Amino acid sequence: MSLDYVKFTPGFGKFMPKEYRDMVEHGPFGKKTTVSQVGTFKEIMEEHPMCAGCAMTLFIRLAFIALPNPEDTIMVGTAGCGRLAISQAAVPFVYGNYGDQNGVASGLSRGLRLRFGDQPKDVVVMAGDGGMADIGFSCTLHSWFRQEKFTTIMLDNEVYGNTGGQESGMTNKGQVLKMAPLGKKFEKMDMLGMAKVAGCAYVATVVPNNPRRVESVIKKAVLIAREVGPTYIQAYTSCNIEYAIPTDQVLQDCKDVENDRYQFTEYISDEAKEHLSTLYGYKEYLPKPVAAVTKG
Amino acid sequence: MYLVANIDQEICAATSCRLCTQYCPEANTIQYGTELGKDKGFKYGSAYVSVDRCKGCAQCVWVCDNMAKHKAIKMEMIDQIGDQALTENISYHEKNTTAVLASPWKS
Repeated sequence: MSLDYVKFTPGFGKFMPKEYRDMVEHGPFGKKTTVSQVGTFKEIMEEHPMCAGCAMTLFIRLAFIALPNPEDTIMVGTAGCGRLAISQAAVPFVYGNYGDQNGVASGLSRGLRLRFGDQPKDVVVMAGDGGMADIGFSCTLHSWFRQEKFTTIMLDNEVYGNTGGQESGMTNKGQVLKMAPLGKKFEKMDMLGMAKVAGCAYVATVVPNNPRRVESVIKKAVLIAREVGPTYIQAYTSCNIEYAIPTDQVLQDCKDVENDRYQFTEYISDEAKEHLSTLYGYKEYLPKPVAAVTKG
Repeated sequence: MYLVANIDQEICAATSCRLCTQYCPEANTIQYGTELGKDKGFKYGSAYVSVDRCKGCAQCVWVCDNMAKHKAIKMEMIDQIGDQALTENISYHEKNTTAVLASPWKS
């Protein structure tokens, strides 16, 4: 949980695997790395067992690059595809039981605040649509209503991809899947609306089709969650296995879905805007100068 | 045998757009070397693939063909592409990475 843990014990560096040495010497810890520099530094994420061409993997990779302080971050996840990649990274990963990831993150976030005071320690929950909108729904909503200060990221692949293709609350109405042969009977859940009602300070939807936007959205969400309140990002990360998308068409599908039903939306509260502009220099959120009113 | 991405460094170094690196789902697979192509007069370097990490999904091919419109990446059989970079040969420098190219079948 600090830069101290990403270094070698003196004398033991030469015995470490190359990937580990690269991470210590050329990793992003303690530096500012961006998506545009990718390919020139050692990334936090390592090799992982997720399917070839998975859009969720691309999103998770971009999310790790976007973390403002990876050395001070803890990821919390739960059952689902995403954990296979999130756990293969040089950031501590806490695996909650299915559905309680936001409850675990609440305790973790409060404990870190007690222990470290003003020093920022970020907690980021990253879980699938099943873990967040179905099985972990109560924990997720309650953490927002309680105004717990951490970031929640939903990897929305619109299906239970890990268990053979059952419908989830986030599947679109009428969608036929391997384990939902009659088609889904009700509409996709409006988690964005619920996040706003529950008082999230920052709510956004993204598609991994635009890496720089993913980076900017995650940076803002993590920075706002440090002081202001809960933040929520919903990312479309298609399942190319259950939706039978050829791997070289995954990004075309992202583009089509973005144009169809997953346009970029961003809600940011006034308090969060002020927080970003005063503490982190976001010029676009500075209050606009009011034109002088002349009497006459 | 299986397919991996192979980048034509002459086409890539002519534009150096870096899009494939940003869209690859695997970490540290498409790397960027600013020295590559300098011997042929290109200024900004080229992308290269560490073939032992490539899962052969061909997303980079779609990105290069449709977004960048450079058509510099092809999927080729791993035993037919000659010398390629491997993770163990890659070294990172301040602003770029370099790979000592080695054939996966010779080492």
